[in-house]
Amino acid sequence: MEEYPEELRTPPVALACLVGCAEVHGLITAHLHSQQPPINTIALPDFSKISMIPPKKPPRETSEPVGGIFRRDWLSKHRTRIPAVVAAFFSSHNVSGDPAQWLQVCTDLENLKATIRGRNIKLVVVVVTLSGHKDYTSEDRMIALRKRAEVDSKNLIIFVPDDELELGQSLNRLRTAVADLANAYYRDEGRRIKVRLEKRSFSSSELNVRYCFKVAVYAEFRRDWLEALKLYEDAYHALREMVGMSTKMPPIQRIVEIKTIAEQLHFKMSTLLLHSGKVVEAITWFRQHTANYRRLVGSPEVTFLHWEWLSRQYLVFAQLLETSSADVQHVPSVVSVAAEKPTEWEFHPAYYYQLAASYLKEKNVSLEFALSMSEDVGPIDGSSESVVASAYFGQFARLLEHGDTCIMQSLTDDEYVRYTLAEGKRFQDSFEIIALLKRSFEAYSNLKAERTAAYCGLQMAREYFAVSEFCNAKQIFDNVASLYRREGWLLSLWEVLGYLRECSRGISSAKDFIEYSLEMAALPVTSDAFEPSSKDCGPAGPATLSQRAKIHKEAFEVARGESELNLKEQNNELKVNSDYPLYLEIDLVSPLRVVLLALVAFHQPVVKPGAPSLITISLRSQLPTNVEIDQLEVQFNQSECNFIIGNGKKPHIAAISNIQPGRRVETAPSLVLATNKWLRLTYEIKSDHSGKLECIYVIARIGPHFTICCRAESPASMNDLPLWKFENLVETIPTKDPGLAFSGQKAIQVEEPDPQVDLILGSSGPALVGESFILPVTVSSKGHAVYSGELKINLVDTRGGGLLSPREEEPFSADNLHVELVDISCHVPEDQTEAPPDNIQKIQPSFGLISVPSLDVGESWSCKLKIKWNRPKPIMLYASLGYYHQSGEPNLQKVHVHKSLQIEGKTAVTISHRYLLPFRQDPLLLSKVKSVSEPDQIPSLALNDLTMLIVSAKNCSEVPLRLLSVSIEKEEDNDACAVQPQHEEFRDPVVHVPGEEFKKVFTVIPKLNCTRLKIGTVCLRWQRDSRVEEQYDSCDNASQVTKHRLPDVNIELPPLVVSLECPPHATLGNPFAYSVKIHNQTEFLQEIKFSIADSQSFVLSGPHNDTIFVLPRSTHVLSYMLVPLGLGSLQLPRVTVTSVRYSAGLHTSPASSIVFVYPSKPHFGANDTRETRRDSFVAD
Amino acid sequence: MIVCVAVVGHQNNPLYIQSFTESDDVLKLHHIVHCSLDVVDERVNNPKKSGPTLNETFLGLLYPTENYKVYGYLTNTKVKFILVTTDLDVRDADVRNFFRSFHAAYVDAVSNPFHVPGKKITSKVFAKRVSGIVQTFGLSSAG
Repeated sequence: MEEYPEELRTPPVALACLVGCAEVHGLITAHLHSQQPPINTIALPDFSKISMIPPKKPPRETSEPVGGIFRRDWLSKHRTRIPAVVAAFFSSHNVSGDPAQWLQVCTDLENLKATIRGRNIKLVVVVVTLSGHKDYTSEDRMIALRKRAEVDSKNLIIFVPDDELELGQSLNRLRTAVADLANAYYRDEGRRIKVRLEKRSFSSSELNVRYCFKVAVYAEFRRDWLEALKLYEDAYHALREMVGMSTKMPPIQRIVEIKTIAEQLHFKMSTLLLHSGKVVEAITWFRQHTANYRRLVGSPEVTFLHWEWLSRQYLVFAQLLETSSADVQHVPSVVSVAAEKPTEWEFHPAYYYQLAASYLKEKNVSLEFALSMSEDVGPIDGSSESVVASAYFGQFARLLEHGDTCIMQSLTDDEYVRYTLAEGKRFQDSFEIIALLKRSFEAYSNLKAERTAAYCGLQMAREYFAVSEFCNAKQIFDNVASLYRREGWLLSLWEVLGYLRECSRGISSAKDFIEYSLEMAALPVTSDAFEPSSKDCGPAGPATLSQRAKIHKEAFEVARGESELNLKEQNNELKVNSDYPLYLEIDLVSPLRVVLLALVAFHQPVVKPGAPSLITISLRSQLPTNVEIDQLEVQFNQSECNFIIGNGKKPHIAAISNIQPGRRVETAPSLVLATNKWLRLTYEIKSDHSGKLECIYVIARIGPHFTICCRAESPASMNDLPLWKFENLVETIPTKDPGLAFSGQKAIQVEEPDPQVDLILGSSGPALVGESFILPVTVSSKGHAVYSGELKINLVDTRGGGLLSPREEEPFSADNLHVELVDISCHVPEDQTEAPPDNIQKIQPSFGLISVPSLDVGESWSCKLKIKWNRPKPIMLYASLGYYHQSGEPNLQKVHVHKSLQIEGKTAVTISHRYLLPFRQDPLLLSKVKSVSEPDQIPSLALNDLTMLIVSAKNCSEVPLRLLSVSIEKEEDNDACAVQPQHEEFRDPVVHVPGEEFKKVFTVIPKLNCTRLKIGTVCLRWQRDSRVEEQYDSCDNASQVTKHRLPDVNIELPPLVVSLECPPHATLGNPFAYSVKIHNQTEFLQEIKFSIADSQSFVLSGPHNDTIFVLPRSTHVLSYMLVPLGLGSLQLPRVTVTSVRYSAGLHTSPASSIVFVYPSKPHFGANDTRETRRDSFVAD
Repeated sequence: MIVCVAVVGHQNNPLYIQSFTESDDVLKLHHIVHCSLDVVDERVNNPKKSGPTLNETFLGLLYPTENYKVYGYLTNTKVKFILVTTDLDVRDADVRNFFRSFHAAYVDAVSNPFHVPGKKITSKVFAKRVSGIVQTFGLSSAG
């Protein structure tokens, strides 16, 4: 686009001319230029310069032949030299001065009018006056001036430069006048020519085009874009019709001219369309334009001109598309005609850049061809130097100098062709092509169109290759090749690799050359029949099997050092020898995996140290012909396992190559790799070290200086070969055993040696909460001596709770630890006077570490773990012993013994309690009456009344316990209540078998009326009954205390206490007294209702039912006399006592109102009294 | 005239590519087919909002290169068919018909129990059938 002249690239701007009064020109020029639309000006200081405006040419005679379509300088002439308006400036001093001055004004005006009349240029007359002298200008003179100038009054302007306000006004007035007149001028001019078009009064089609073009340009001057576009289109169509018309012009130059004009017209149209946002139309036009002219190649000698022209069309359109606003570009408007709808890429400049590059390439090719065809173009003859662009657009002429005058002489086609060839030779287009492709490549990459970008890259790299920039070319080719490899486009890859091979020659890299050659040789181009017509497949020749074999042979000859690699520059050669050894590395992602694939499979997953294991090494190559390997080396992570496989057919080679001493060497009968056939080698391997044994590399040596280092792969995790995976190949398995092919691994686990030491955990029953549980651990050597032994103890919650994890950072306290390891005590043998220095001992609540002294075979050592349970919880104890079975060998593996034991932690005793009121005595406790019974209600006791407290302890463990003492410890040392007995040691320890319940009765007398009385805590001391299990040590006999806190009780004064009194037993027929005592403890008179129910078993005398009043702090007694009528346990008559005040009734419990009736008076033994006195008893 | 047809697999790898031209531009046709996959990707990833194209297998004109027109077709198993023709005036219906019969041929070819999905199509019967379809391209509408 830059090569177009300025006047064509930018829209035309109206031109005005300022004459006279040069001092105001700067002001006016700046003003006219800054307004919208701008107006350019030519400033002429005085009227003598008026001849600068070119005079009108005499009208052309119709018979005169038309020299060309349009003149080269017409447009610039109208833009820079022919004004639409002339503004004549006169100073008011001159206008209203003496007659001589006035005469001068009139003469100037007449001359000016004479000059501009021929071109119909409009005129504005401006009188410059200072603001002070404004009124001095004579009115008559002004009218006379206007009449002489033949202008309207609005085009006669008084210009006042020295007053800001007036200056602004006069500038605006001048601008309006100039703009109006310029518009009128261009309209008139356009109309004048348009009339000729409409009347079709032109003699040749050249004139038709020319007229259309002129009208369009005039419309553009007026900013009438629509009309301009329409007329450019007309011109374009008219031009199109001219193709093929015979004229007197030489045909080659004729086509060149037409194409040049078409290019300009199309450029104008595209610009107009794109600037008005009509992208789709512009693209459609462009398509049509290129389609119209693509076939118009012209004569064969100058084909290159055609391609250059076409390339320029694309380039210019791409640039236009790029510079037109970005947002229109990406919103393709939906066009109804689906077939003609531009496709995605046509909206992107990248597409056009790419095609511009490809046509430029085409041009290069045909230029080279044309140059080779014309032999005599070499010495540039003098004639071509003087060839210049002629007066007409798109034409060339020879400039002949005759003295001072120059004459244009038109050229013959022959001369023209010679001229263009000479010109074409001067330019090197490769870098231009690369630049275009690079823009396209970048744009496509940004659009994520990687394949199209890769194609641009490929073309770019080819161009670099053509100009011998191998480094650049190789880099791009490599990128492109990786895409083709990934997507399996063989033919494209073949071409790229062919180029890459040549590039490596160019940069003298034998390694690259061999790599690319081997990859090509191993490409899955399988048949000679593959695309028989495809001969143009890059520098490597056709993609056929035979070509692959040829490349293969060449590569191996170079690699073995048998032949030299011919380099590109100066017949240089490169040879693989000891100075330049060749080392290829093939990893899991290398494209060379197809060349050599090494799978390694151990036959077992694990092996004992020192025991032999089988290993299979499978090699496969897709190279077209057989490859013989001289030597294979297998490398492991344990380097002492490395071994070498020599080729049995070439024993001398194996001998001479650099084998480290002490290295294992095997010999295989043959090491020949055939195409797609597995070479399987199975050997035994031993490792003395436990841990992982992994095969890392399989290194193949071919010839003295060629090494391929191939990373070993496991058959189980082998990926498909790239490219070959799309081929229909015979599936082969790498190992003989198909199972191994699917599961084989390149690594094996070498186990550690079997331990020959016993670790015994002295298993015992469950542990009891609170006690220090002793667990003996014994290490006894059976066949190994123990050196640097370490015993690790771990306590783990069996339910997986993290409570005991040693990782917990928070400080441990006895409260939140359920189980803790308290101590590890061990016997230090007496003969060892000092402990070994490495006797580490580390104890954490759930983790312990202790060092084990050295033991000889047959010795044993033990220690005791002391574990304390704070809560009942089952735990898992893990003990692991690590040791060396030989001392002094640092690289020896430690042997580990692991043992675990689950230990249940249980609560030994559970203590419960209950309160019991004295027999047949019921205090009225108001809190019981008021509230409905709730489960968590605290019990109420009567003040100053004796209450029984029964504490029962149940043995929940599985072992018998011995109870030592029981006591109630008061929390506060006060006399709030009296508890008897406080403490009791059992003289004969009570043996408490599992499941048994032990009860102890205390009496409690509350002495203080309070709502929450703390009674105290029951403390029960016990220990395991050592008489049963003798193996427990003395430290185990320390007694444990189980505590049970008694809940708080509510003490209140009962207002009424009812007690029943009757003898413990009765005799049939004998009357006995039965009384109900109602004791009123309040200060009020209490109204009491009572009733007694009749009973069949007794004859009853006394009040049956009544309401009585009990005086304050007194006792009322209801007395009855009863005579029993039946035998055995009889229910006494039920007495119901109801307090009216508290509306509470007394319902005696059935158990407390039973009396046993003997048939006759019984006789009791003397020792019965002891039974009743005993306080504590053992219930069943 | 159809100059090239191609079946392109899931990894954008050619499963079958056959050119029908006498000249030496096989490689160029490979490149054209390969580049057109970008347009297929673009169309599939950014479907136009207009309704009927949603479930359309025929992708239409992918891009007009200078001397060729490239059409695309995407099967419901995401296998792409690409057609390159030198006819500059092609009727949409013809191309649709072509792809329909080509698709049928492809389905028959991959239904062969000895064909491994994802591998190249080497069936000679398929090749013969494709040549037949290619030769009759455009004839039905001309008649």
